[in-house]
Amino acid sequence: MNTQTILKIAASVIIYTLLQVFILRNLVFFDVAFCFVYISVILFLPSATPTSTALLIAFITGILVDMFYNTAGLHASAAVMIAFIRGFILKVLFPSKGLENEIVISVEGMGVERFIRYIVILTFIHHIYLFFLEAGTFNFFLNTSLKILASVMFSSIVIFLLHVYLKSLRNS
Amino acid sequence: MSQLLGILYKSRHFFLFLALQIICFYLMSKNNVYWDVSFFNTTNSVVARSLEVSQKTNEFVNLGTVNDRLASENAVLRKQLTDLQEMRSGIPGYKQDSLMAYRFDYTVAKVVGSTHNLTDNFITIDKGTDDGVRAGMGVISPQGVVGQVAYANKHYSRIYSILHSRQMVSAEVLNSKLRENNTVALGIAKWDGTNPHYVRLNTVDRFKPVAKGDSVVTSLQNPIFPPHVMIGRISEVSNTTSEAFHTITVRLSTDFSSLIYVYVVKNKLIESQKEAETNPGIK
Repeated sequence: MNTQTILKIAASVIIYTLLQVFILRNLVFFDVAFCFVYISVILFLPSATPTSTALLIAFITGILVDMFYNTAGLHASAAVMIAFIRGFILKVLFPSKGLENEIVISVEGMGVERFIRYIVILTFIHHIYLFFLEAGTFNFFLNTSLKILASVMFSSIVIFLLHVYLKSLRNS
Repeated sequence: MSQLLGILYKSRHFFLFLALQIICFYLMSKNNVYWDVSFFNTTNSVVARSLEVSQKTNEFVNLGTVNDRLASENAVLRKQLTDLQEMRSGIPGYKQDSLMAYRFDYTVAKVVGSTHNLTDNFITIDKGTDDGVRAGMGVISPQGVVGQVAYANKHYSRIYSILHSRQMVSAEVLNSKLRENNTVALGIAKWDGTNPHYVRLNTVDRFKPVAKGDSVVTSLQNPIFPPHVMIGRISEVSNTTSEAFHTITVRLSTDFSSLIYVYVVKNKLIESQKEAETNPGIK
C-alpha cells in the first residue's frame, strides 16, 4: 500500500462522512427510506487491502458517523461487519480471480451488472444488520423489513451514482 | 505451540473483527451513561458546532413557517393574558363580568406595506372582512401600539398608523408614585408629525408626578385597545409653570420601519358600549 492509496482512502472517508452527516442525514423519504452512503468507503477499498486494515477503516468511519447520529457503536458495528464479509463476497462473485489478477472494484473493472450486484448485496447485508440491531427486537419485523427494502434501494442508487460521479470528477 | 500460534495468526482477521465488534457492543450498551459524558463531551464541541451549522441552514429555510406559527401562538397567549388580567383587577367589591373580561379577540395579520415618514402614515395588512377585521378596530404589534383600522375590504385592510395626524390614543403613565397615591395620569398620545420615533403626550395634569423613563401605556378608558398595552417610554418632560399640563415626549416602543406581524384587536362589546354612551333617548 503506497502513500497515494492511503491519501485516497483518507479523502474518501472524509468526503463520504461529511456527505452522510450533513446532507443525507436530513434526507429521509416517507419515514422509511434512509440513505447510508458512508459504506462506500468500505465498498470501494482496493480489493488488495488486507482485511485487518479494512476492519480498522470501517471502525473509524462508523464511529465518526455514530458521533453525529448519537448512536455510539451501532454504525461502527455494521460497518465492521461488512468490512469483514467483503472478502468472502468478492470471492463468491469472482471465483476465477485470485491474487495474480487483482479485481478492480469499479464499473470498468467489473462490468455494470456485476458492479451493481456487488453494491446491492453488501448494502443489503449492512442494512439488515443495522436496522435489526437498531430495532433491538424482531417485534417490528414488517416495519423493519419495509425500512430495509426501501433503504437498500435508496442507498444503492445513491452509492452507485456518487461513485460514478466522483470517478468522472477525478478523471476530468 | 507454534502450530497453535500459526492458527491464531491465520485467523487474526477474525479476532480483530471480534474485538472491534465487542468494542461496538460495549459502546452501545454504555451509550447512555458513561460513553456520553467521557468521550462525546471531549469531542463534542466540534460535533456540536458542525451540527449547529447544518441545523442553522435548515432553520433558515423554514424561517417563514416558524414565524407564522409563533405569531399565531402569540395571539392565543395574548388573548389569555388579557383575559386573566381583566379577571383579576385588584379592586375589592368590584367583580368583573366574565363577558367583559373576555371581550378582546386577536387576529394575526401580516404587514404587506407601510410608510412611516410621511405626515399621514398608513399600514396595509393582509387580513380583511373575511377574517373579521372591521374599520375602527385597534391594531397592536408585539412591541406595542400600532394604530387603528381605517378601512377593510374582503382581503386587505388599511390602518391609520399612530404616526397619522388624526390618530390619537388614550394613554396613561405608569410609575410607582402614582400607584402609591392611587391616582392615574391620563393623557392623549398624538404624533406631532416630525420624528417617527416620538409622539407627544398632552393633557397630563401638571400636578401628577411623572418623570423621564416612565412607561406610557393604553389607558383603561379605551374601548379600542386592551388596557395597558405599551406605547412607549417618556423621554422628556417639560413644564413651564404657566401651563396646566405637562408637555411630554414619548419614545415609541414600536419600530414602524420593521413591522412584520401585527395583531388586530376586536372588542366584542364595543357596540353596546357605544350604545350606552350615545343613546339618543337621553338629553
